[in-house]
Amino acid sequence: MSTPHPAGPTPPTGLAARQAALVATLVAGAPVPAGFVTDRVDAARAALLRKRAGEVARHWPLLAAGLGDAWWGTFRDWAAGRPTAGSLRDGWDLARELRDRGALPPLGAEELVVREAAHHYDGEQPPRHRRLPAFARAGDAVALQFAGRVRLLRPARR
Amino acid sequence: MTWPHGVGIGWRPEIAGFVAELPGLRFVEVVAESLAAGGPLPAGLAALRERGVTVVPHGVRLSLGGAEPVDPHRVAHLARVAELVDAPLVSEHVAFVRAGGLEAGHLLPLPRTREAVTAVVANVRRAQAELPVPLALEPIAALFDWPDDELDEADFLTEILDATGAGLLLDVANVYANARNRGDDPHALLDRLPLERISYVHVAGGAERDGLYHDTHTDPVPAEVLELVGALCARRPPPALLLERDGHYPPAAALRAELDALAVAAGHPVVT
Repeated sequence: MSTPHPAGPTPPTGLAARQAALVATLVAGAPVPAGFVTDRVDAARAALLRKRAGEVARHWPLLAAGLGDAWWGTFRDWAAGRPTAGSLRDGWDLARELRDRGALPPLGAEELVVREAAHHYDGEQPPRHRRLPAFARAGDAVALQFAGRVRLLRPARR
Repeated sequence: MTWPHGVGIGWRPEIAGFVAELPGLRFVEVVAESLAAGGPLPAGLAALRERGVTVVPHGVRLSLGGAEPVDPHRVAHLARVAELVDAPLVSEHVAFVRAGGLEAGHLLPLPRTREAVTAVVANVRRAQAELPVPLALEPIAALFDWPDDELDEADFLTEILDATGAGLLLDVANVYANARNRGDDPHALLDRLPLERISYVHVAGGAERDGLYHDTHTDPVPAEVLELVGALCARRPPPALLLERDGHYPPAAALRAELDALAVAAGHPVVT
């Protein structure tokens, strides 16, 4: 079906395998398949990341606003080579990582604790509503959920 | 259930208020995956339907160009949404968006090979068998090509359209973007596409970044794209043209000016 590929890692054959290899290149950090123009594939990879950053910012507006000018670089560094788990979970995973590094801005901390008080999220399965009352904290920010209502008990320190 | 006619705009929640106040508007498009199959419609969209504005569901995640058979649940959703808005047709892309269990997050180009034609034709036929209305197919903007293309873009698209009977949703901004990034002449492609099969036309803005033109939908429509709209209309005027804007929404006056410029370029009545 196709002309021979130039030398390189044994290229996959068949459309399904070749499409899978290309998507892995674009979103999971796999090498560029043989024969493609590397610069162009890199440009597509960057464009996908930029679009994804915008979608995650829509789901996590306070996290993105809290990072301000650093949002794009922070998201890009975190997301490159990491396939999406959907915008909600991408932002959640990023917020937790920033929290663990002590790099979560106050607005992001407040957004995170409100979400964590309301939902159980184990990092593997989609988040689901908590049935029992719960506290959540990130740094100084503390949120309480009771009977489905969430209150930010203490804001993050500015 | 009126076929798209005149100048329309992509309906998005963020600009629902703006769209609601366009007095001459007769058709909009809505991202099919953004609607719940069982309804209710967003209030703004329901109000447009009551006014008799045509609503065309536009799918973005069917992945008709995937080597795997199209997901029947996604086709069923598109079919139900078409009924929900009483659509005269629906549209999707000649592209794939996932493979090997990974989501790409955007529309990706197919290799222009016989194998890819066979795959996309099979998926389009599977979709058509379940859809209550005709399907129009949109060629995408791509930043790269596959290394082993056997067909040029016009032959690739014409083979798919001939084999499926699908309509053509021609995105003039995509024609411009691809020609500019490949160093081709966009008019040469217009000369070879089956323009008589156009159901409607997309127009969107973009911007250059690092020497490549990106079809962003978040920037103004360049003058070159409007000129290409004029060139298309000089060959064969399409029945309808739709402005797509997907973020960084400008002030209402700027968006109205873009709609007016599109109407003028295409020789349609202004809708603002």
